[in-house]
Amino acid sequence: MSFRARMMTPLLVVFVAAIGYPLISSFVLSLTNYRITRRDETKFVAFAQYKDVLQDHAYWSALAVTGTFIVFAVALELSIGLMIALALQNQRRFRDFSRSFLLSPMFVTPIAVGLMFRFLLNQQLGAIPAILEKVGITYDFFGPGRAIYSMVIIDVWQWTPFMVLLLLAGLESLSKQPFEAAKVDGASPFYTFRRVTVPMLAPILTVAVLIRSLDASKVFEYVYAITRGGPGTETQTIQYFTYQTGIQFFRLGKASAMSYLLLIMVISLVILLFKRIEKARLAS
Amino acid sequence: MRTMKARKSVMALIAVAGLVLISACSSSSPNASTAGNTKISADTAGTVRVLMEGVPDTDIVKGLLAKFNEKYPKIDVKIEPIAYDQIRDKIVASFQATDPTYDMAIIDNPWMGDFAKAGFLKPLDDLIAGTADYDYNDFSAPLRAIGEVDGKKYGVPFYNYGLGLIYRTDLLASAGITEPKTLDELAAAAKKLNTAARAGIAMQPQRGYKAFEEWGNYLFAAGGSIYGTDGLVKLNTPEAKKALNTYIAMYKSSAPKNSLNWAFDEALRSVSSDKSAMMVSYNWMLPTLNKKDGPAGALAGKFKLATMPGGKQVLGSWDWAIPANSKVSDAAWAFISWITSKEGEAARVSAGGAPARISVLTDPAVSNTGGGAEYYATVGKILGNAEPLCKGANCDEMINAVGTELNAAIAGLKSVDSALAAAEEQANKIQSK
Amino acid sequence: MTISKITTRKHFEPWRLAGNILLTGAFIAVSAPFLWVFLGSFKTGTQLNNPTLILFSPNLANWTRVLETGILQAAFRSVIVGLITVSIAIIVGSMGAYSISRYKTGGSTARFGILTAQVLPPAILVFPFLDLAYRIRVNGTLVSVVAAHISLVLPVVTWFLIGFFDAAPKEVEEQALVDGLDRFTAFRKVVLPQVAPGIGASAIFGFVISWNDLFYALILAPGNSATLPVRIAGFNTFRGVELGAMSAAILVSVIPVLIASFFIQRRLVQGISGGAVKF
Repeated sequence: MSFRARMMTPLLVVFVAAIGYPLISSFVLSLTNYRITRRDETKFVAFAQYKDVLQDHAYWSALAVTGTFIVFAVALELSIGLMIALALQNQRRFRDFSRSFLLSPMFVTPIAVGLMFRFLLNQQLGAIPAILEKVGITYDFFGPGRAIYSMVIIDVWQWTPFMVLLLLAGLESLSKQPFEAAKVDGASPFYTFRRVTVPMLAPILTVAVLIRSLDASKVFEYVYAITRGGPGTETQTIQYFTYQTGIQFFRLGKASAMSYLLLIMVISLVILLFKRIEKARLAS
Repeated sequence: MRTMKARKSVMALIAVAGLVLISACSSSSPNASTAGNTKISADTAGTVRVLMEGVPDTDIVKGLLAKFNEKYPKIDVKIEPIAYDQIRDKIVASFQATDPTYDMAIIDNPWMGDFAKAGFLKPLDDLIAGTADYDYNDFSAPLRAIGEVDGKKYGVPFYNYGLGLIYRTDLLASAGITEPKTLDELAAAAKKLNTAARAGIAMQPQRGYKAFEEWGNYLFAAGGSIYGTDGLVKLNTPEAKKALNTYIAMYKSSAPKNSLNWAFDEALRSVSSDKSAMMVSYNWMLPTLNKKDGPAGALAGKFKLATMPGGKQVLGSWDWAIPANSKVSDAAWAFISWITSKEGEAARVSAGGAPARISVLTDPAVSNTGGGAEYYATVGKILGNAEPLCKGANCDEMINAVGTELNAAIAGLKSVDSALAAAEEQANKIQSK
Repeated sequence: MTISKITTRKHFEPWRLAGNILLTGAFIAVSAPFLWVFLGSFKTGTQLNNPTLILFSPNLANWTRVLETGILQAAFRSVIVGLITVSIAIIVGSMGAYSISRYKTGGSTARFGILTAQVLPPAILVFPFLDLAYRIRVNGTLVSVVAAHISLVLPVVTWFLIGFFDAAPKEVEEQALVDGLDRFTAFRKVVLPQVAPGIGASAIFGFVISWNDLFYALILAPGNSATLPVRIAGFNTFRGVELGAMSAAILVSVIPVLIASFFIQRRLVQGISGGAVKF
């Protein structure tokens, strides 16, 4: 066995054992009309569930809600996270303390974060509206047209630290020479950032954005703790919808089809993205 | 062509393999236990594992286990407390398993139809009939109806969570208002009690279950009903429109500001911290609110429970049940029949549990504790005239669909007419699936 | 040398000021909710409904109640599950990621295939897991939770590491091979130190995923082996949210990780500078 194959084998074995089986058996479920509470009626229905899901208006609306959430949350997390990472890199005092403290929101289980903000942002019972009211502002955090952005704020609070962690690690692994060279050439910090830092950081930025987007597509706990998908269906994300369909409403076959359709869409998007990146890399 | 065919048969093979796998999980045979018509033997033995919600009612049951063991020393009841939604997820997983994780279950009323029809639960008719001095008909009739599916009894009532109107006696008195008897009177009272510092009524319009659970009471108060005489959901009616219009007007004029996502917890906090004068909530919240050093602090003693205007309200209940795959169903029934017996019920309710039997309400040993005789009389009225949100199949899904439309109308995203029409159409579609 | 240093420092000063303002803002944004949780953990039920109450006589009832629920044991189980999960994921993932990054093993199929499991919701995968756990007789133990967590953590960690290996320069490693090290030793002694920050970052993130997971732990592990998130979620009941006890539980879940990351962070920085000295 070649070296590369030997290095790959353990990953492959664990991957197949821990992921392969559940993946395949949930795919099999998506081809049936399996319902937890009607097991004796289970039969093979080929792609009927997929057709059903594609025609379901609620599915597309949940996708749109999730898409909006991902775009706003990840864009904010990336920009704030990059700024904080740069500031932390240049920080001189209290480095260890501020680094570990700023990472702390990640370590709170998301359901607790959801419950925390449900009360923090509550008009009558919460601290934030109470403070805002003192300066004459009332804002309906979970009202129509706004609830989804409040969810974004909560996600930014919890997951910007992840961006910071990754980007800081990326920044510190960069080789120092290009920066020295830029310094010697008298380049401005902004120029250095745009022409040296960002291009060198590009692979890490891509990984960070991609992983965070995939993770944000799983947003569930905040919705569950705060709005249950309301007002109307404005915060009904794809994960909440799938959870309700599969577990709460027992339609596991349909919920599996929903997930596989999502999977296909996400993988296609990722492949398209990478094709474009490769092209850009070859062109430059 | 040939490859297509081959591929198809491979697919079918995978599918069949999957089905075998699924049916393998479901093939556990229900434990056939014959009913006796005498007393249950005190020698019945076994370990009974049960998943329960981490709420005071569970703690009360835990506190009675020692008393139970005096009578049945060989039965070990192991209670695992857990949060609400986790119960369903875990119990469903256990129902599917060949080797169940739980031998006894508590079932929330929306799940009853689905679980019974799925064959997850053991019919209890013979056990109930065969147990001496059980007096099944002493349970309130609407509660009994919840545990009965297709003419068989799958659950016996554990505790009720019927709703009612809870209000501040001091505030109503100083505003010169008497207990509201009609929906319009309720709306007027809420408006009059609404001040800058305190909302007239704390409402719970959160999407899904909560919106429907609260609005259902308004529907009954307006003289409406959820199901028509033909058994189909009828929500596109003048009564429903009146109820929803009143609800929305009250939300706008008399509820706490920006409370569109509020549920049970927020309403309770608002009322107990003097920020709202009334709420529609579970009847057993009254003793909690009136308890000295309870959540309401200095306001304790100022709260009163009333039936909804018009007298009818939404009912919920938890039922004891025995999973079909339980291997110790005799021991499980020994416990269930003891805790729900008149004796067990009296001990449970005296300790603060929510009642399910009618006779317990007038038992002086019970009514002299906690809530007081007047409270238990009101609870009796509530349990006598109440109805759950959904009967039959797919209740969680039906309730969620109706609650989504209601919440959309309350948020102003939809008109009252189109929301109710959509709610009715979806509810019937879901329940027929 | 000294002159250039002075000029650059002058040049960077406004940026440093802006950075410090940003960090102060971030510090406030992060600490405000924690302050509320901290205060809440000492409040009585009635005091909790008054959000702006800051001065009050602290009450320890929430803390005693939380400790009675076995929160420390739950935290210990969460740490064990997290550490085992992350160790397996890092060892297996770094080897595979290196192979994928350097030797293009599996081409783009491997790169994207790894992502597949990342997209599927636990709500769908949990039933097959439960069934599998039953078949191999590990149902109701933490082994099944670790297996489920590996399925969550391994793809992300591998993905991270591919990115870090892509970014690491090849020259050092090629030099090591020329110097006569075998490939695995070169990987271990030369390549891994280069991506140490990346491994640290992925390990922390992998641990976070496992530490935070509610859904798998809830369904796969029985009550007496519940992990921390399961316990915390248990304070959200049908009869309302036990905010005080939950606040105390949140602090129990954050403080140990905070202390640990303080030291991990320090070692991470040392590791990097140590590596730099060797070149």
